[in-house]
Amino acid sequence: MKKIMTFASAIFALSLVGTVQTASAETLRVGMECTYAPFNYRTPEGELAGYDVDVAKGVAKIIGADLEFVCQKWAGILPALLANKFDLVVASMSITESRLKKMDFSSPYRISVGRLVGTKDAKLNLFDAANVPIAASFDGLKVGIEKGSTYASWFKAKLPGADIKYYESNEALYLDLTNGRTDVIMTNPMKAYLKFLSKEGGSKFGFVSPQIDEKAFFGIGVGIGLRKGNDDLKIRLNAALETLTSDGSLEKYALKYFPFAIH
Amino acid sequence: MNFDFALILSSIPQLLEGLSLTFQLWILSGILGLILAIMLMLMRISGRWYLAAPAMVYIYIFRGTPILVQLFIIYYGLPQVEFIRESIAWEILREPFGCGILALTLNTGAYVSEILRGGVQGVPKGLGEAAAALGLSKVQRFIYITTPLAVRLSLPAYSNDVISLMKSTALVSTITLLDMMGIARVIVSETYAPYEIFISLMIIYLLITWVTQKIFALLERRMSRHIIQ
Repeated sequence: MKKIMTFASAIFALSLVGTVQTASAETLRVGMECTYAPFNYRTPEGELAGYDVDVAKGVAKIIGADLEFVCQKWAGILPALLANKFDLVVASMSITESRLKKMDFSSPYRISVGRLVGTKDAKLNLFDAANVPIAASFDGLKVGIEKGSTYASWFKAKLPGADIKYYESNEALYLDLTNGRTDVIMTNPMKAYLKFLSKEGGSKFGFVSPQIDEKAFFGIGVGIGLRKGNDDLKIRLNAALETLTSDGSLEKYALKYFPFAIH
Repeated sequence: MNFDFALILSSIPQLLEGLSLTFQLWILSGILGLILAIMLMLMRISGRWYLAAPAMVYIYIFRGTPILVQLFIIYYGLPQVEFIRESIAWEILREPFGCGILALTLNTGAYVSEILRGGVQGVPKGLGEAAAALGLSKVQRFIYITTPLAVRLSLPAYSNDVISLMKSTALVSTITLLDMMGIARVIVSETYAPYEIFISLMIIYLLITWVTQKIFALLERRMSRHIIQ
């Protein structure tokens, strides 16, 4: 009986996909947490807002689809996608090997990067004009990094001369940079901006490096998730994201929340 | 669960890279702590309230709070105060090693001073009186009569504290120091294999404890060699 039910629901799901795709005004249901500011969250007025929301709206406009947002707790977001509760995941979901086994992703609309934060007027001379790190400047430089983050492996491979200090949390990173125990910290620029640089104690500090986005170390980035076997939809998503990138929309969305682009 | 025995063996050499730092912390704060403990103990038994009272308060505070809290207050709390960052003390407090030594020393000093006091007060009164009758001064009595006996009486409890100090050194991993525990936590965060790595770490700590216990047992036997069993 259970098997028959599964089969029946599979048929039903298939037929749903069929109708959606043949319908003149396609409706895409987008799953997200709705609580992950500034990427997807509700404003005090109850409106959904954030970078993810903007990207979803931008993509839908180009594809010519109607949008329906579904709020879903993070832990259940992949099962819900697979159970056809929604068609797309636009929820700051990083593209990873293990996720790619179960689902598909569009090309990234946000990159995974690291960036160095340090005292604004320190003149550390860490990168040359071509944004290549100058190894000599890093020798003995005290660099704060969160334990278990990918930034440590980047440093070990590229700049082994740096004196790396491992911290338990991002807050401890900011604290010890302020106290002068480290010269720079490497962290996620968005986190650093929201939690530190834009706050009271962070005014003396700023980014002292370009965005470092080596995929071998930091991963591909954040993409739009979809069920496997929807290659047609994936192609249209990628095309739409490309348009949003080239016409500057992605940058415009990012600048609403950050003083820098994040794609 | 997959249990990787090979990983236990291969992680031990990596962990041993932190052994020297663990020993530095342990021995340095052990010695400094002992000096502090002797001073505190002397203040405590001096019979003068203006010496005994500060020592009691100090011991109460440092025995009554978790060492992790003390460590965090020293490492994260003190630099919040502007004049500390500008004072000479910042030379020590800037370095996590200095903070670690300071916290461990202050903590173990409080415990050991109470152990020593127990030892001193455990020496029978009659011995001191006999020495006084022979014309020994107060200082002489303390050095030649009380001290050797007090040391022997304190030794079993003191060895306990030395071992617990060794284990406390693992806490410095929370203030970025890469002692054995710090290295273990970095490896765990990279390999996601907590069982294997922490079991390797346990093996190393157990070996150190075992050797320490043996040394203290020998010492105890030597100091009690004239006692007829």
